[in-house]
Amino acid sequence: MRGILLQSAIISTPIEWYIMLSAVLFTIGACGVMVKRNAIIIFACVELMLNAVNLLLVAFSSYHSDASAQVFVFFIMAVAAAEVAVGLAILSMIYRNLKSIDINVLSKLKH
Amino acid sequence: MNSTGTPIDYLPIVLMFLVALGFVVTTIVATHLLGPKRKSKVKDAVFECGIESKGNARFPFSVKYFLVAILFVLFDVEVIFMYPWAVNFKELGWLGIIEMFTFIALLLVGFYYLMAKKALKWED
Amino acid sequence: MSTLLLNIPVTQYMFYFLSFVAILCGMMVVISKNPIHSILYLILTFFSIAGHYLLLNAQFLAVVHIIVYAGAIMVLFLYVIMMMNLNEKDEPNKKVFLKIAAVGSAGLLLLTLVGSLKGAEKMVAAAPLNTNVGLIKNLGQTLFGEFLFPFEISSILLLAAMVGAIMIGKKDPVK
Repeated sequence: MRGILLQSAIISTPIEWYIMLSAVLFTIGACGVMVKRNAIIIFACVELMLNAVNLLLVAFSSYHSDASAQVFVFFIMAVAAAEVAVGLAILSMIYRNLKSIDINVLSKLKH
Repeated sequence: MNSTGTPIDYLPIVLMFLVALGFVVTTIVATHLLGPKRKSKVKDAVFECGIESKGNARFPFSVKYFLVAILFVLFDVEVIFMYPWAVNFKELGWLGIIEMFTFIALLLVGFYYLMAKKALKWED
Repeated sequence: MSTLLLNIPVTQYMFYFLSFVAILCGMMVVISKNPIHSILYLILTFFSIAGHYLLLNAQFLAVVHIIVYAGAIMVLFLYVIMMMNLNEKDEPNKKVFLKIAAVGSAGLLLLTLVGSLKGAEKMVAAAPLNTNVGLIKNLGQTLFGEFLFPFEISSILLLAAMVGAIMIGKKDPVK
Protein backbone atom coordinates (compact mmCIF):
# COMPACT_ATOMS: atom_id res chain seq x y z
CA MET A 1 0.00 0.00 0.00
CA ARG A 2 2.67 2.40 1.05
CA GLY A 3 4.73 1.48 -1.99
CA ILE A 4 1.87 2.20 -4.37
CA LEU A 5 1.01 5.54 -2.80
CA LEU A 6 4.54 6.80 -2.82
CA GLN A 7 5.62 5.16 -6.01
CA SER A 8 5.44 8.01 -8.40
CA ALA A 9 3.86 11.39 -8.76
CA ILE A 10 2.58 10.35 -12.16
CA ILE A 11 0.02 7.99 -10.55
CA SER A 12 -1.53 10.56 -8.25
CA THR A 13 -0.93 13.61 -10.43
CA PRO A 14 -2.38 13.71 -13.95
CA ILE A 15 0.02 14.61 -16.72
CA GLU A 16 -1.89 17.75 -17.69
CA TRP A 17 -0.99 19.40 -14.39
CA TYR A 18 2.66 19.07 -15.28
CA ILE A 19 1.85 20.53 -18.69
CA MET A 20 0.16 23.50 -17.03
CA LEU A 21 3.05 24.00 -14.60
CA SER A 22 5.60 24.04 -17.42
CA ALA A 23 3.40 26.40 -19.43
CA VAL A 24 3.25 28.80 -16.49
CA LEU A 25 7.01 28.63 -15.87
CA PHE A 26 7.69 29.14 -19.57
CA THR A 27 5.40 32.16 -19.62
CA ILE A 28 7.11 33.66 -16.58
CA GLY A 29 10.44 33.28 -18.37
CA ALA A 30 9.06 34.88 -21.53
CA CYS A 31 7.58 37.71 -19.48
CA GLY A 32 10.97 38.29 -17.85
CA VAL A 33 12.64 38.49 -21.24
CA MET A 34 10.15 41.15 -22.32
CA VAL A 35 10.09 43.17 -19.10
CA LYS A 36 13.76 43.33 -18.12
CA ARG A 37 16.47 45.52 -19.61
CA ASN A 38 19.45 43.99 -17.83
CA ALA A 39 20.98 41.56 -20.33
CA ILE A 40 22.11 39.12 -17.62
CA ILE A 41 18.63 38.82 -16.14
CA ILE A 42 17.23 38.29 -19.64
CA PHE A 43 19.75 35.49 -20.01
CA ALA A 44 18.64 34.01 -16.67
CA CYS A 45 15.01 34.12 -17.81
CA VAL A 46 15.98 32.18 -20.93
CA GLU A 47 17.44 29.55 -18.58
CA LEU A 48 14.10 29.45 -16.78
CA MET A 49 12.32 28.81 -20.09
CA LEU A 50 14.77 26.02 -20.91
CA ASN A 51 14.04 24.43 -17.55
CA ALA A 52 10.29 24.59 -18.05
CA VAL A 53 10.75 22.55 -21.21
CA ASN A 54 13.10 20.16 -19.39
CA LEU A 55 10.45 19.57 -16.73
CA LEU A 56 7.88 18.75 -19.39
CA LEU A 57 10.28 16.32 -21.08
CA VAL A 58 10.90 14.52 -17.79
CA ALA A 59 7.17 14.38 -17.02
CA PHE A 60 6.45 12.75 -20.38
CA SER A 61 9.40 10.41 -19.94
CA SER A 62 8.03 9.28 -16.61
CA TYR A 63 4.49 8.96 -17.95
CA HIS A 64 5.48 6.81 -20.91
CA SER A 65 8.31 5.02 -19.05
CA ASP A 66 10.76 5.92 -21.78
CA ALA A 67 14.34 6.92 -21.01
CA SER A 68 14.95 8.81 -24.27
CA ALA A 69 13.45 12.06 -23.04
CA GLN A 70 15.71 12.05 -19.99
CA VAL A 71 18.73 11.64 -22.26
CA PHE A 72 17.44 14.62 -24.23
CA VAL A 73 17.51 16.60 -21.00
CA PHE A 74 21.20 15.71 -20.64
CA PHE A 75 21.91 17.16 -24.02
CA ILE A 76 19.87 20.26 -23.24
CA MET A 77 21.98 20.73 -20.12
CA ALA A 78 25.17 20.43 -22.17
CA VAL A 79 23.86 22.99 -24.64
CA ALA A 80 22.82 25.29 -21.80
CA ALA A 81 26.29 25.09 -20.24
CA ALA A 82 27.97 25.88 -23.54
CA GLU A 83 25.54 28.72 -24.15
CA VAL A 84 26.10 30.20 -20.70
CA ALA A 85 29.89 29.98 -21.04
CA VAL A 86 30.05 31.81 -24.35
CA GLY A 87 27.14 34.16 -23.62
CA LEU A 88 28.49 35.39 -20.31
CA ALA A 89 31.95 35.80 -21.81
CA ILE A 90 30.41 37.99 -24.53
CA LEU A 91 28.44 39.98 -21.94
CA SER A 92 31.50 40.61 -19.78
CA MET A 93 33.41 41.75 -22.86
CA ILE A 94 30.56 44.12 -23.76
CA TYR A 95 30.57 45.46 -20.21
CA ARG A 96 34.31 46.01 -20.34
CA ASN A 97 33.99 48.03 -23.55
CA LEU A 98 30.74 49.91 -23.02
CA LYS A 99 30.51 49.98 -19.19
CA SER A 100 26.87 48.91 -19.44
CA ILE A 101 24.77 45.84 -20.17
CA ASP A 102 21.53 47.71 -20.66
CA ILE A 103 20.04 46.34 -23.87
CA ASN A 104 18.95 49.82 -24.92
CA VAL A 105 22.61 50.82 -24.98
CA LEU A 106 23.47 47.69 -26.92
CA SER A 107 21.02 48.61 -29.67
CA LYS A 108 23.76 50.64 -31.36
CA LEU A 109 24.71 47.31 -32.95
CA LYS A 110 22.03 47.89 -35.57
CA HIS A 111 23.49 51.14 -36.93
CA MET B 1 5.93 -4.41 -5.15
CA ASN B 2 9.69 -4.47 -4.95
CA SER B 3 10.47 -1.60 -7.24
CA THR B 4 13.49 0.49 -6.44
CA GLY B 5 14.00 4.17 -6.88
CA THR B 6 10.68 5.44 -5.60
CA PRO B 7 10.57 8.91 -4.05
CA ILE B 8 10.27 7.40 -0.55
CA ASP B 9 13.87 6.20 -0.84
CA TYR B 10 14.94 9.83 -0.79
CA LEU B 11 13.34 10.59 2.56
CA PRO B 12 16.73 10.43 4.39
CA ILE B 13 18.10 13.11 2.06
CA VAL B 14 15.07 15.32 2.71
CA LEU B 15 15.55 14.80 6.45
CA MET B 16 19.19 15.73 6.13
CA PHE B 17 18.23 18.91 4.28
CA LEU B 18 15.70 19.75 7.00
CA VAL B 19 18.25 19.20 9.77
CA ALA B 20 20.86 21.31 7.98
CA LEU B 21 18.36 24.09 7.32
CA GLY B 22 17.00 23.90 10.86
CA PHE B 23 20.50 24.14 12.32
CA VAL B 24 21.32 27.23 10.29
CA VAL B 25 18.00 28.94 11.06
CA THR B 26 18.24 28.09 14.76
CA THR B 27 21.78 29.41 14.97
CA ILE B 28 20.94 32.66 13.23
CA VAL B 29 17.80 33.26 15.28
CA ALA B 30 19.56 32.33 18.51
CA THR B 31 22.47 34.67 17.92
CA HIS B 32 20.04 37.49 17.21
CA LEU B 33 18.14 36.80 20.40
CA LEU B 34 21.06 36.07 22.71
CA GLY B 35 23.70 38.52 21.56
CA PRO B 36 23.92 42.08 22.88
CA LYS B 37 22.95 44.84 20.49
CA ARG B 38 24.94 48.03 20.40
CA LYS B 39 24.28 50.28 17.49
CA SER B 40 26.10 53.46 16.58
CA LYS B 41 27.31 55.07 13.44
CA VAL B 42 30.85 53.93 14.02
CA LYS B 43 29.83 50.37 14.88
CA ASP B 44 27.80 50.04 11.70
CA ALA B 45 30.56 51.36 9.46
CA VAL B 46 31.96 48.96 6.88
CA PHE B 47 35.54 49.22 8.16
CA GLU B 48 36.39 49.83 11.77
CA CYS B 49 39.68 51.60 11.21
CA GLY B 50 40.90 55.11 11.55
CA ILE B 51 40.45 55.77 7.86
CA GLU B 52 37.15 57.21 6.75
CA SER B 53 35.27 54.60 4.74
CA LYS B 54 33.89 55.69 1.44
CA GLY B 55 32.20 53.99 -1.49
CA ASN B 56 30.52 50.62 -1.61
CA ALA B 57 31.59 47.51 0.26
CA ARG B 58 31.21 45.56 -2.96
CA PHE B 59 33.88 46.14 -5.53
CA PRO B 60 34.49 44.51 -8.90
CA PHE B 61 37.05 41.71 -8.84
CA SER B 62 39.43 40.31 -11.36
CA VAL B 63 38.34 38.69 -14.58
CA LYS B 64 40.73 35.81 -13.95
CA TYR B 65 38.26 34.12 -11.60
CA PHE B 66 35.66 34.38 -14.29
CA LEU B 67 37.58 32.39 -16.90
CA VAL B 68 38.25 29.66 -14.34
CA ALA B 69 34.54 29.54 -13.50
CA ILE B 70 33.57 29.21 -17.17
CA LEU B 71 36.00 26.36 -17.70
CA PHE B 72 34.71 24.72 -14.52
CA VAL B 73 31.14 24.71 -15.90
CA LEU B 74 32.25 23.06 -19.13
CA PHE B 75 34.32 20.35 -17.46
CA ASP B 76 31.53 19.81 -14.94
CA VAL B 77 29.14 18.90 -17.76
CA GLU B 78 31.80 16.62 -19.21
CA VAL B 79 32.04 14.71 -15.93
CA ILE B 80 28.24 14.37 -15.81
CA PHE B 81 28.45 12.30 -19.00
CA MET B 82 31.01 10.03 -17.37
CA TYR B 83 28.80 8.81 -14.51
CA PRO B 84 26.45 6.68 -16.69
CA TRP B 85 29.48 5.25 -18.48
CA ALA B 86 31.14 4.29 -15.20
CA VAL B 87 28.02 2.49 -13.96
CA ASN B 88 27.62 0.58 -17.24
CA PHE B 89 31.36 -0.03 -17.62
CA LYS B 90 31.23 -3.84 -17.80
CA GLU B 91 28.16 -4.08 -20.06
CA LEU B 92 29.53 -1.61 -22.59
CA GLY B 93 32.93 -3.28 -22.80
CA TRP B 94 35.58 -2.16 -25.25
CA LEU B 95 33.10 -0.29 -27.41
CA GLY B 96 32.24 1.90 -24.44
CA ILE B 97 35.90 2.55 -23.74
CA ILE B 98 36.48 3.61 -27.36
CA GLU B 99 33.41 5.89 -27.25
CA MET B 100 34.47 7.51 -24.03
CA PHE B 101 38.07 7.94 -25.11
CA THR B 102 36.94 9.70 -28.28
CA PHE B 103 34.85 12.02 -26.12
CA ILE B 104 37.71 12.73 -23.73
CA ALA B 105 40.23 13.12 -26.56
CA LEU B 106 38.11 15.86 -28.12
CA LEU B 107 37.93 17.66 -24.81
CA LEU B 108 41.66 17.21 -24.25
CA VAL B 109 42.16 19.20 -27.45
CA GLY B 110 40.34 22.02 -25.71
CA PHE B 111 42.43 21.50 -22.60
CA TYR B 112 45.60 21.68 -24.68
CA TYR B 113 44.30 24.89 -26.27
CA LEU B 114 43.68 26.55 -22.93
CA MET B 115 47.11 25.46 -21.73
CA ALA B 116 48.67 26.88 -24.89
CA LYS B 117 46.74 30.14 -24.41
CA LYS B 118 47.78 30.18 -20.72
CA ALA B 119 44.14 30.73 -19.75
CA LEU B 120 44.70 29.30 -16.27
CA LYS B 121 47.91 31.20 -15.59
CA TRP B 122 47.37 33.29 -12.50
CA GLU B 123 49.99 36.03 -12.82
CA ASP B 124 50.03 38.30 -15.85
CA MET C 1 -4.82 7.38 12.28
CA SER C 2 -2.52 5.26 10.21
CA THR C 3 -5.19 4.54 7.57
CA LEU C 4 -5.91 8.25 7.35
CA LEU C 5 -2.25 8.97 6.75
CA LEU C 6 -2.01 6.24 4.18
CA ASN C 7 -5.01 7.47 2.23
CA ILE C 8 -3.47 10.84 1.54
CA PRO C 9 -1.59 10.84 -1.71
CA VAL C 10 1.60 12.35 -0.34
CA THR C 11 3.10 12.92 -3.75
CA GLN C 12 0.16 15.13 -4.65
CA TYR C 13 0.81 17.42 -1.69
CA MET C 14 4.46 17.47 -2.63
CA PHE C 15 3.46 18.43 -6.16
CA TYR C 16 1.35 21.34 -4.88
CA PHE C 17 4.08 22.57 -2.58
CA LEU C 18 6.89 22.33 -5.14
CA SER C 19 4.77 23.93 -7.86
CA PHE C 20 3.89 26.78 -5.53
CA VAL C 21 7.54 27.39 -4.67
CA ALA C 22 8.61 27.15 -8.31
CA ILE C 23 5.99 29.59 -9.60
CA LEU C 24 6.40 32.04 -6.72
CA CYS C 25 10.19 32.14 -7.03
CA GLY C 26 9.90 32.34 -10.82
CA MET C 27 7.73 35.43 -10.46
CA MET C 28 10.15 36.92 -7.94
CA VAL C 29 12.94 36.54 -10.52
CA VAL C 30 11.03 38.91 -12.76
CA ILE C 31 9.72 41.20 -10.02
CA SER C 32 12.79 41.82 -7.86
CA LYS C 33 14.85 44.88 -8.70
CA ASN C 34 18.21 43.71 -7.42
CA PRO C 35 19.88 41.40 -9.99
CA ILE C 36 21.55 39.33 -7.25
CA HIS C 37 18.14 38.64 -5.67
CA SER C 38 16.81 37.62 -9.08
CA ILE C 39 19.55 35.03 -9.46
CA LEU C 40 19.04 33.72 -5.91
CA TYR C 41 15.32 33.27 -6.57
CA LEU C 42 16.19 31.47 -9.79
CA ILE C 43 18.35 29.05 -7.77
CA LEU C 44 15.34 28.35 -5.50
CA THR C 45 13.21 27.68 -8.58
CA PHE C 46 15.81 25.23 -9.82
CA PHE C 47 15.81 23.42 -6.48
CA SER C 48 12.05 22.99 -6.61
CA ILE C 49 12.31 21.71 -10.19
CA ALA C 50 14.85 19.18 -8.93
CA GLY C 51 12.24 18.13 -6.35
CA HIS C 52 9.78 17.61 -9.19
CA TYR C 53 12.34 15.39 -10.92
CA LEU C 54 12.59 13.26 -7.78
CA LEU C 55 8.81 12.91 -7.65
CA LEU C 56 8.82 11.86 -11.30
CA ASN C 57 11.36 9.09 -10.65
CA ALA C 58 14.15 10.87 -12.51
CA GLN C 59 16.61 10.57 -9.63
CA PHE C 60 19.85 10.89 -11.53
CA LEU C 61 18.56 13.90 -13.44
CA ALA C 62 17.58 15.55 -10.17
CA VAL C 63 21.13 15.23 -8.87
CA VAL C 64 22.64 16.34 -12.18
CA HIS C 65 20.27 19.28 -12.31
CA ILE C 66 21.40 20.49 -8.91
CA ILE C 67 25.08 19.98 -9.74
CA VAL C 68 24.96 21.69 -13.13
CA TYR C 69 22.37 24.42 -12.66
CA ALA C 70 22.49 25.36 -9.00
CA GLY C 71 26.15 24.43 -8.58
CA ALA C 72 27.79 25.70 -11.72
CA ILE C 73 25.67 27.82 -14.03
CA MET C 74 24.06 30.00 -11.37
CA VAL C 75 27.41 30.51 -9.63
CA LEU C 76 28.73 31.76 -12.95
CA PHE C 77 25.79 34.18 -13.17
CA LEU C 78 26.51 35.48 -9.67
CA TYR C 79 30.19 35.85 -10.57
CA VAL C 80 29.35 37.98 -13.57
CA ILE C 81 26.94 40.18 -11.66
CA MET C 82 29.45 40.72 -8.87
CA MET C 83 32.20 41.30 -11.39
CA MET C 84 30.16 44.05 -13.04
CA ASN C 85 29.27 45.39 -9.61
CA LEU C 86 25.61 45.87 -10.45
CA ASN C 87 23.47 47.30 -7.71
CA GLU C 88 19.83 48.11 -7.36
CA LYS C 89 20.29 51.73 -8.25
CA ASP C 90 21.88 51.12 -11.65
CA GLU C 91 19.19 48.64 -12.65
CA PRO C 92 17.65 50.00 -15.86
CA ASN C 93 13.87 50.21 -15.92
CA LYS C 94 11.47 50.05 -18.79
CA LYS C 95 8.59 52.44 -19.19
CA VAL C 96 5.46 51.45 -17.33
CA PHE C 97 3.27 51.07 -20.38
CA LEU C 98 5.90 48.86 -22.02
CA LYS C 99 5.89 46.69 -18.91
CA ILE C 100 2.11 46.40 -18.98
CA ALA C 101 2.25 45.50 -22.66
CA ALA C 102 4.89 42.85 -21.93
CA VAL C 103 2.86 41.29 -19.11
CA GLY C 104 -0.27 41.38 -21.28
CA SER C 105 1.43 39.62 -24.17
CA ALA C 106 2.87 37.05 -21.75
CA GLY C 107 -0.68 36.42 -20.53
CA LEU C 108 -1.80 35.90 -24.12
CA LEU C 109 1.08 33.47 -24.62
CA LEU C 110 -0.04 31.51 -21.55
CA LEU C 111 -3.60 31.47 -22.86
CA THR C 112 -2.42 30.13 -26.20
CA LEU C 113 -0.23 27.47 -24.62
CA VAL C 114 -2.93 26.27 -22.22
CA GLY C 115 -5.56 26.29 -24.95
CA SER C 116 -3.45 24.33 -27.38
CA LEU C 117 -2.41 21.77 -24.76
CA LYS C 118 -5.95 21.18 -23.54
CA GLY C 119 -6.41 17.76 -25.17
CA ALA C 120 -3.71 16.05 -23.12
CA GLU C 121 -6.07 14.33 -20.68
CA LYS C 122 -7.12 11.86 -23.36
CA MET C 123 -3.57 10.61 -23.70
CA VAL C 124 -2.71 7.01 -22.78
CA ALA C 125 0.65 5.85 -21.54
CA ALA C 126 2.71 4.10 -24.21
CA ALA C 127 4.20 1.56 -21.81
CA PRO C 128 3.31 0.20 -18.35
CA LEU C 129 4.78 2.22 -15.50
CA ASN C 130 8.38 1.39 -14.77
CA THR C 131 9.91 3.29 -11.87
CA ASN C 132 13.44 2.26 -12.77
CA VAL C 133 13.60 4.34 -15.94
CA GLY C 134 15.38 7.26 -14.31
CA LEU C 135 18.10 5.22 -12.67
CA ILE C 136 21.63 5.83 -13.83
CA LYS C 137 22.08 2.35 -15.30
CA ASN C 138 19.05 2.63 -17.57
CA LEU C 139 20.00 6.10 -18.71
CA GLY C 140 23.53 4.98 -19.48
CA GLN C 141 22.29 2.14 -21.65
CA THR C 142 20.11 4.52 -23.65
CA LEU C 143 22.81 7.18 -23.85
CA PHE C 144 25.54 4.85 -25.07
CA GLY C 145 23.26 2.82 -27.31
CA GLU C 146 20.65 4.85 -29.10
CA PHE C 147 22.17 8.30 -28.56
CA LEU C 148 25.81 7.54 -29.21
CA PHE C 149 26.26 9.99 -32.06
CA PRO C 150 24.69 12.98 -30.25
CA PHE C 151 26.93 12.15 -27.31
CA GLU C 152 30.08 12.39 -29.41
CA ILE C 153 28.79 15.54 -31.09
CA SER C 154 28.18 17.14 -27.70
CA SER C 155 31.89 16.84 -26.97
CA ILE C 156 32.55 18.94 -30.06
CA LEU C 157 29.98 21.43 -28.77
CA LEU C 158 31.77 21.65 -25.43
CA LEU C 159 35.11 22.02 -27.23
CA ALA C 160 33.73 24.86 -29.34
CA ALA C 161 32.32 26.57 -26.25
CA MET C 162 35.66 26.24 -24.47
CA VAL C 163 37.63 27.72 -27.35
CA GLY C 164 35.05 30.47 -27.82
CA ALA C 165 35.03 31.43 -24.15
CA ILE C 166 38.83 31.60 -24.02
CA MET C 167 38.99 33.60 -27.25
CA ILE C 168 36.46 36.12 -26.00
CA GLY C 169 37.27 36.18 -22.32
CA LYS C 170 41.06 36.29 -22.38
CA LYS C 171 42.70 39.64 -22.42
CA ASP C 172 45.11 40.33 -25.22
CA PRO C 173 48.64 40.00 -23.84
CA VAL C 174 49.93 42.49 -26.43
CA LYS C 175 48.25 45.55 -24.94
